[in-house]
Amino acid sequence: MFVWPVGVSLLASFSRDGGWTLANYGAVWRLYSGDVLYTVGVAAAGSLLTFAAAIPLCGWLRARAFGPVEFLLKVPLFVPFVVVGHALRVVWSPYLPGFAPSWPGIAVALAWKHLGLAALLMLGAFRGVDESFLEAARQLGSGTVRVTRDILVPMAAPALAVSAVLIFSSMLASFSIPLMLGRGSGGQMLMIDVYYRFGQHGDFETASALGVVSYLLAMGAALVYVRRLTR
Amino acid sequence: MLLRVLAVFTAALALAAPAAAQTRLNVAIGADVNVVEVHKSLLAPGFKAQAQEVEFNVVGTGTGEPASRAIYTKIKAQADTGRKPWDLDVALVSMAVASQMAKEGLLFRFVPQMKNAALVKGAEVKEAFGVNVDGYVVPMFHNQIAIAYHPAKVVNPPKNFDELAAWVKANPGRFGYNGIKGGVSGVGFTMAWVYWKTGLYQQLTQGPADKGKDGAIREAVTALRDFNKNVVITNGNAGTLDALNRGEIWMGVVWIDQLVAWKNEGRMDQAVTPTLPAPGLPIYPLYLVVPREAASRDLAARYIDYIATPEVQARAIVERFGWYPGVDADKVLPLISPKSRELLFKGVTAQDLARYSRQMPLKEYHDMITLAYEEIVR
Repeated sequence: MFVWPVGVSLLASFSRDGGWTLANYGAVWRLYSGDVLYTVGVAAAGSLLTFAAAIPLCGWLRARAFGPVEFLLKVPLFVPFVVVGHALRVVWSPYLPGFAPSWPGIAVALAWKHLGLAALLMLGAFRGVDESFLEAARQLGSGTVRVTRDILVPMAAPALAVSAVLIFSSMLASFSIPLMLGRGSGGQMLMIDVYYRFGQHGDFETASALGVVSYLLAMGAALVYVRRLTR
Repeated sequence: MLLRVLAVFTAALALAAPAAAQTRLNVAIGADVNVVEVHKSLLAPGFKAQAQEVEFNVVGTGTGEPASRAIYTKIKAQADTGRKPWDLDVALVSMAVASQMAKEGLLFRFVPQMKNAALVKGAEVKEAFGVNVDGYVVPMFHNQIAIAYHPAKVVNPPKNFDELAAWVKANPGRFGYNGIKGGVSGVGFTMAWVYWKTGLYQQLTQGPADKGKDGAIREAVTALRDFNKNVVITNGNAGTLDALNRGEIWMGVVWIDQLVAWKNEGRMDQAVTPTLPAPGLPIYPLYLVVPREAASRDLAARYIDYIATPEVQARAIVERFGWYPGVDADKVLPLISPKSRELLFKGVTAQDLARYSRQMPLKEYHDMITLAYEEIVR
């Protein structure tokens, strides 16, 4: 179910006009190497923003459970990607013209969408930390910020690393939000290039090569995840 | 439990299946929901009045080129696996996809058997992207790419590309189009730019394909890169209209039908007007085609023949949607009301269309130009 389509697209990426070739990867290098860096950059920035927002919020929620805030934090989990893209474009356009299609705009939108997933994973990890550690820290005068920074984050670090991998991989493969927010010029997320190659040109071979590059990028992150699971 | 679910599903299918005497016509529409709707609510019922044995199954496959690609992929898969008959009888596809299907022998040559065959006229029904499509395609309607502008902000709309380039230089950030990754209107504008800069319209559209023209094309695309420095690149056809409507830009590249539709729906400033500067912009028809191994080829041809009837074109294509007729305009336009005629030709007259409607280039040149754009403009 998984190996077959991946295998077919891998073979397609090395073929053109019935023969084997590296030309598709040549096209990726010539036309889209900048977009590979752009995609990694946007995904990394989006992941950092997600964690920058989720860690303090989840630390605060770990210290004092507050249902309404926890619920609100998880709302983005249920909002479709297209709706996020459309809503943020509508909200930003009048006040911050030019922000929505910029790379920071796309990174912020991706962070907004992934905040729910991050909260879900992070709260579970923080709640796995034994209460006695937190009580001891509090008795020694630590506030919520210090407890989060010095107790929760270090003790939940492996789980946070796995969350980071999942969120980064998801952002690498994002399509709807960049499509809704982005412009037809400048850097593009790789999935937009994949869509353009087969949608506009019917060029499945270069699209497949772009797909393989995406697998490789995600695989680097996935290796961390798999190593963590099998440890 | 599984057995029960299967039994219910089978029963539902049996109930949903048409009666034995009915012939099912599967119609795939590679276009927006409004085009699907006109088939479902107007064209199919109209044809059914003439051919009561027909049961329609109309499906839309989305918007833009990918919608047509989806139809091509489905038909190609059936051809490759040797399955017959194919499960699509009529398809509405883009010029690019229709030309590819004709080239690969996936289409049935049905136009000669139509009563209205003589009305299927124009260069675009003979060749598309350099491929012979004669007899294989009937444009459902024509769609023109144009420059739309705010009369309050643009007092003298550009009459040609020289004036357009000068206006954009004098008004940075007030002209928008969607590049080549945001839809075909931007692709069409890019082609028009290259026609204008190179003066090679005849060769780029008629051939022969010559790699030696790459230098001239790249020079034109380099000039486009400089032009783009004062331009807003929008995120699609709708993005350009949206920016125009909000006054963010004062001029932009649009599809005339989409502009008319937005105005009709009250989503667009009524003052925004299209114009067609010399040497013109491409027209991009959507073609009705019949797949080679369609189960009901003759019935499919009759349905398309019905759509090509001047009365139907006048009522469904022009009056209702403001599209340009797909078949001989001389036979269709006398049948429309003066009000519809005024709406249809406001800004862009029939004479403008006759003079400045351009064809898309041959596929080889199309790919050469888009590649140059990706490498030079980005």
